[in-house]
Amino acid sequence: MADFLTRHTKDPAQKKLDTARGRGAYEGFRRALAMSRQEVVAEIDASGLRGRGGAGFPTGRKWSFIHAKEGQSVYLLCNADESEPGTFKDHHLMTFDPHLVLEGVAVGAYAIGAHRAYIYLRGEYASIAETLAAALREATAAGIIGQSCLGSGYDLSVGLQLGAGAYICGEETGLIQSLEGKRAYPRVRPPFPAVHGFLREPTVVNNVETLACAARIMAEGAEAFARLGTRQSAGTKLISVSGAVERPGVYEVEMGYPLMQFLSHEAGGISGGRRLKAIIPGGTSVPVLTAEEAAPLTIDYESMLSAGTMLGSGGMIVFGDGTSMPHALLRIAEFYAHESCGECTPCREGTGWMAWVLRRLLAGEGRPGDLGLLLRVGDNIEGRTICGLGDASVQPVRSFIRKFRQEFEALAPLPVAFPAWQLHGHGPRTGRFGPPVEEAAQSQPVEGPPDYVL
Amino acid sequence: MPIVTIDGRQIEVEPGTSVIQAADQLGVEIPRFCYHPDLEPEGNCRMCLVEVDGFPKPVVACATPVVDGMVVKTPHTSPVASRAVRGVLEFLLVNHPIDCPICDKAGECSLQDFYMHPDYGQHRSHVDSKEKVHKAKRVDLGPRIVLDAERCVMCSRCVRFSENVTGYAELQFIRRGNHVELVSFEEQALQDPYAGNFADICPVGALLSRDFRFKRRVWKLDYTSSICAGCSTGCNLRIDHYDGHIERLIPRRNPDVNRSWLCDEGRLSYKQLAMAPRVTHPHQDGEKALWVKVTAAADELLRAGTLGKGLPLAALASASATNETLWLFRRYVEAAFPRHLLEFRLAQETEAVRERQDKLLRRIDKHPNTMGALHLGYTAGMGLEGLVREAEAGRLGALLMLYYPPLVGEESEETKDRIRRLLELAQESVLLTTHHLPYLAGAKILLPVAAWSEEEGTYTNYQGTVQHANGAVGSPSAARPAAEVLGDLMRQATYGRPETEPGRVFAEIAEKVPAFRGLRYKELASRLATAYPPEGRMPYGKDGFTGH
Repeated sequence: MADFLTRHTKDPAQKKLDTARGRGAYEGFRRALAMSRQEVVAEIDASGLRGRGGAGFPTGRKWSFIHAKEGQSVYLLCNADESEPGTFKDHHLMTFDPHLVLEGVAVGAYAIGAHRAYIYLRGEYASIAETLAAALREATAAGIIGQSCLGSGYDLSVGLQLGAGAYICGEETGLIQSLEGKRAYPRVRPPFPAVHGFLREPTVVNNVETLACAARIMAEGAEAFARLGTRQSAGTKLISVSGAVERPGVYEVEMGYPLMQFLSHEAGGISGGRRLKAIIPGGTSVPVLTAEEAAPLTIDYESMLSAGTMLGSGGMIVFGDGTSMPHALLRIAEFYAHESCGECTPCREGTGWMAWVLRRLLAGEGRPGDLGLLLRVGDNIEGRTICGLGDASVQPVRSFIRKFRQEFEALAPLPVAFPAWQLHGHGPRTGRFGPPVEEAAQSQPVEGPPDYVL
Repeated sequence: MPIVTIDGRQIEVEPGTSVIQAADQLGVEIPRFCYHPDLEPEGNCRMCLVEVDGFPKPVVACATPVVDGMVVKTPHTSPVASRAVRGVLEFLLVNHPIDCPICDKAGECSLQDFYMHPDYGQHRSHVDSKEKVHKAKRVDLGPRIVLDAERCVMCSRCVRFSENVTGYAELQFIRRGNHVELVSFEEQALQDPYAGNFADICPVGALLSRDFRFKRRVWKLDYTSSICAGCSTGCNLRIDHYDGHIERLIPRRNPDVNRSWLCDEGRLSYKQLAMAPRVTHPHQDGEKALWVKVTAAADELLRAGTLGKGLPLAALASASATNETLWLFRRYVEAAFPRHLLEFRLAQETEAVRERQDKLLRRIDKHPNTMGALHLGYTAGMGLEGLVREAEAGRLGALLMLYYPPLVGEESEETKDRIRRLLELAQESVLLTTHHLPYLAGAKILLPVAAWSEEEGTYTNYQGTVQHANGAVGSPSAARPAAEVLGDLMRQATYGRPETEPGRVFAEIAEKVPAFRGLRYKELASRLATAYPPEGRMPYGKDGFTGH
């Protein structure tokens, strides 16, 4: 158990500026203001901080991409949309230590030369809006944020924007569109937000936890952060664990902490005396792990990657051995079908299609080849969408079916039989009149190589 | 300048060109729904996915700028791209009603075309029709457009047109995922005076023209390239006709004039041709007459009125006539009548020729060829008003008038009154016109001429661009192109044997008039064949785009 970020979150009085300042709040911002922007970026770079929203992109590098031309304004947007299923770590930070988040926003804004920053808060987090707004009022009244922050001559205004509850608003360009007052349709990249972001100006979008880390790093130095964790994954990570564990909740662990130890110690073990069946380590958008796969892993970016999954947002969902994986997958697939923004074709139609097929499988109305169909639809979505959420919707489907194949096959009315030509990608050409009747009856022709090894 | 290789063919393009633009220049066909050359790229349909060497996954050709040395493979040559595009096409059909047999877009629908293409389509869908998402059908979007939301592929062309081109911003998507649906603002009728374009830019049968709906299957239509005669902008359009009847007008792309757009008034201007009865036969003193007799009579009438009495001829041409007609009109008047008043204005055309009516296309001057008349030596003289004054003073011997009723809007009451008065006052009057209109009844000799869409010729728009229009449909009964009638009048009076075939008349104009120097009729006629989608691009080879 580490306490780099969460050391004061147990105390309800931490929300008050006086208490927080007594514990060193805004000292990191003060130290940053004494340095040049480049020095702050270099400090963050040296700490090895990587984005905590899911992708794990080095934060210092992201900030260094900002090159504002004459007359351009730079914006820092704090992504507090935390909508990845299973993730509620930012909720914890914002609720219990709002000043740490604000300090992070201030540090980030200063580092990229922004004079205006926005916190884009998830619609469902309306209860936190008041906490954040109160903290913002206090910090503004105390001269920390506003004109000449802490007497430094650097101006910063911070805005708070509440979303209306859409998953897509957590995607950075979707968030930018939404903040601009438009429908949250992600933008095609390039141009990236660092060039054309909010209001077509250079923009950085950072996760709440990332910015909180940045604030602490400025207070305690890059060294203090880099000392924690592994070589490539520095620092600590907030893990929000839910599902079949005795003590679900938010825990801060040092990177490189063994996963099984985390489950048995921090999370209190699998609930109801059951055995671990599967675990989604970083929100539903990353591939699921079986108990065997999860056993040797540690909580850091590289270890997760080596097992073919991702640390993601740290939204850990644990499945005990009584869970029906097809039902769990249907729940996830319906989430994506419901939350697909509908901008680009593959995700708009594909997520809904996958949910349909799963629904009919679970209703006992599955058809031969339905599992192959699910995988094929997934293949047609992945890598062909505007934003990463299309890919995200495919990961659970593919990993659930591949890793828990028996459960899915039990639902299918007939053994999932692929004609050989489907497996090898070639075969009787499906011309205008399609394949021979008897073949069409028991399978569906597939264009391209369905290289599924189920 | 960057050089890009697409399907093994190289092309050098301007920096900043997108892959799809480079492919269009090369003539390599890349399927697309959301991309439109006159709208900002959005990249949402994913239909233009291509494989680019060095990129880990297929990229959208519409939003990927060309880089020097880029090697692109389209679905025609790349299995990766082909698979991606097939996947997208299959997705689009998941919730599409596939009601082509009753859809008006069938035959010119991108979805249908791509599905029939051997490189993108012709696969079998796995979707059960029972599972489709249902949306609004037959939504009334005002007098121009009917929406079928189920057929929509959410390409957002219409939304972007509405927001960025006309600025009315009346269309938007609502809901999410596969329930996304196109709606108009507060579900009200569209106010946009360019609403007709929605039906053109919609790649599928979602937004349909109310005017054209259920009128004719598109493959039955004949296509003819022409120029809109509704105002001085001279938008390039295509006349779609069947069995001698115009069924619709749709824009042809010309980036310098109208881009891909057409205003609703211009689009419906063909209906104006049927608003009054046509003059089908020559008339003399209210009686039908034969051309052979009436041509001689007209020439004699005019000469008797003028040469005999020593009074000038009032010659009032029209700014709606083709350059060729105007040229012959002037030649006849100048050769036969030493004393003449050559005019072409009814109102304030010359002053208004460049004035905009709105920020997009429409102009105040509702005559297509005011600029051509000015170039051909017609001057902003006394105009109709001045002629009426002259007639009142008894200083006119006879009147030769060429008159086309306006195709957009109506002639002002003032102008109508003046025309009526002029025809009354001029005792000897010969009128070349298209329609029987109450204020034209006073003409002594009435010669029926071909209306717009019935004759070939050139028009000069407000920019000074000379553009060629084809004749699409036949004239009623004995009506003939005005140029021929004028040629006959000249022959009658033996003032030479002038050419009346438009190409030859134009060659004469190009030789003698500075503004037309260097122009070639054949080049004008073929230049206007550019259409969007580019000619020959469509898999079913719609040769109609080339015009006749």
